[in-house]
Amino acid sequence: MKPLVLEVESLTKHFPLGGGMFRKVKNVVQAVSDVSFTVAAGETLAIVGESGCGKSTTGRAIMRLLEPTAGSVKLDGEEITEMSPGKLQAARRNMQMVFQDPFGSLNPRMTVRETLMEPILLHGVASGERAQKWVTDLLKTVGLSEHHADRYPHEFSGGQRQRICIARALSTRPRLIVCDEPVSALDVSVQAQIVNLLQDLQQKLGLAYVFISHDLSVVRHIADRVAVMYLGRIVEQAPAEQLFADPRHPYTRALISAAPRPVPGLRTAVEAAEGDAPSALNPPSGCAFHPRCPLATAECSQARPELRQVGDGGALVACHHADEPAPVVLETAPPASATLSARLGVLAAARAAAAETAKA
Amino acid sequence: MTLAATDPEEITAATEDGTASAAPPARAHWFRRLLRDRAAALALLVLALIILGALLAPWIAPFDPALNSRSVMTPPAWSAMGESQYLLGTDGQGRDILSRLLYGSRLTLLIGFISVGLGGAIGSLIGLLSAFYAKLDPWVMRGVDILLSFPAILLGLALVAVMGQGIVPVIIALAVSSVPDCARIARGIAVGVMKQEFIEAGRAVGLSDLTLFSRYLLRNCISSIMIFISLRFGQVVLIGATLSFLGLGARPPTAELGMMASQGREFLLFAPHIAVIPSVLIFVIVLSANVAGDALRDVLDPRLQA
Repeated sequence: MKPLVLEVESLTKHFPLGGGMFRKVKNVVQAVSDVSFTVAAGETLAIVGESGCGKSTTGRAIMRLLEPTAGSVKLDGEEITEMSPGKLQAARRNMQMVFQDPFGSLNPRMTVRETLMEPILLHGVASGERAQKWVTDLLKTVGLSEHHADRYPHEFSGGQRQRICIARALSTRPRLIVCDEPVSALDVSVQAQIVNLLQDLQQKLGLAYVFISHDLSVVRHIADRVAVMYLGRIVEQAPAEQLFADPRHPYTRALISAAPRPVPGLRTAVEAAEGDAPSALNPPSGCAFHPRCPLATAECSQARPELRQVGDGGALVACHHADEPAPVVLETAPPASATLSARLGVLAAARAAAAETAKA
Repeated sequence: MTLAATDPEEITAATEDGTASAAPPARAHWFRRLLRDRAAALALLVLALIILGALLAPWIAPFDPALNSRSVMTPPAWSAMGESQYLLGTDGQGRDILSRLLYGSRLTLLIGFISVGLGGAIGSLIGLLSAFYAKLDPWVMRGVDILLSFPAILLGLALVAVMGQGIVPVIIALAVSSVPDCARIARGIAVGVMKQEFIEAGRAVGLSDLTLFSRYLLRNCISSIMIFISLRFGQVVLIGATLSFLGLGARPPTAELGMMASQGREFLLFAPHIAVIPSVLIFVIVLSANVAGDALRDVLDPRLQA
């Protein structure tokens, strides 16, 4: 068992609504409630869920970019939530973040060198010549070259900027990187590059990732374990393979069956979960998912299911009906149409011909 | 989506292909780029000449600006009735307009620079702090609103009543009236910048508030604020001229452009040059300041470069 880098326990973040100069706090948005998980060195925990479910808030609360309302976050055994500003500043050396928007998360007035130099000097990672060398190394590590250092962020493409952001996150040699939807603003081919870069870096440096995403195919590729969030709570947490093969929570099943699959001719899969996500201002009684759940019973609207061990694969599920067999219903691909088969045939023939010429 | 396993070398190669692999030429110095803009270069030249003239007034002015001569209301030298020693003619009391212009722009520019500098600096700082510390925001901005309700002219009148006539109360009045405008503009710009992710990214890196404020917020706001201040400079020069037009500013016979325009007002029909010449100079100062400010923004903001 590798050492735990991050231990999150009962993390809660509520936002008071209203409030201001002469107003009273009217409502509370329960963005994140009672979230617990751990991440070991070299491990990737993915947090998935639809927008507004509290994924990003969780990430920011871990980093203490938002003050958590309650709960504890331990980085290498050290409590983050109660650190004084000075100690927190020093602790930031060990936890870094990569943001969603590569166009907005770099200071447009600073060259790449200045951006990378900043954390290096701030945390005393290196100085003078060695710091310069480290910047060059970082750029090479993320697949950029030295002459990029003196350019400004607006001179780069989205994928390149995200590389710079990753380089910045690596600059202090952190233990943990929180990736908040690092690839969702990039186009698919660039996504693959960035995801692979993150994986290579993890192997090389033993980083722990908290990978926040709504893209299941990316998560499936990168994650060791997956936590599914719904309305501020973790509803299922399991090793990635198991989660995708045998999801136990009806919401996870809905997510997986709603994800697009690259199968030609496939119509939309089964009916997705009905209705919209309820408001975090006024979450439903009992299980938050019960108004949309196909398995809901009277019990579900009264008692909130606690996260509990289900099966022996290490899955934690918060559902009263987690033990009921309910496979993911995936629409089978329709037989390829005559036109499609004809086109594929032409392609195959062309490919075979190309192979022939290459051989000859 | 398929994620082909790619090794880092391949990634590097792919990146290299996309961009120029040779080192780019060094960027020209910002001042050189500023001069490439013809309008800006002209505006800067004009401003520089006016400022130079104002600074060197005691040495280059042909006459004492307060000296009365017997040639009253002489038109400029190029007109039929002009006299060659009075290049821009004389005013209603026989004083040389060119000399008064040189000395007058001295005072006008001084009032403009000091009051806009003071008011702009204080106002921008208030606005930026208000955006940076969101908790302060409602309180600070209500205070600014109260300040906004004092018209500059009224404030000037009140200050002159207390402190007596002179340029100091005018400068204070103009500075105070610039504070709320600058604070609001600076806050508006800063709130937009604060919403961007790089502020949060800076915080995540572990930067102190001071660094975050100066290197992230201020650096991203300063160019827009400078534009506003340069526009405000024009306004302040105008309000300053208005105040001396009302007899609040410099005490006669000291020359000031607004005062010269107001004195020429009586003779507008038969000796228009007395009012028109200082007015044109005010116009030129304000216009050049605006054009130069605009161009300055273009070169200082790396995002606006092609």
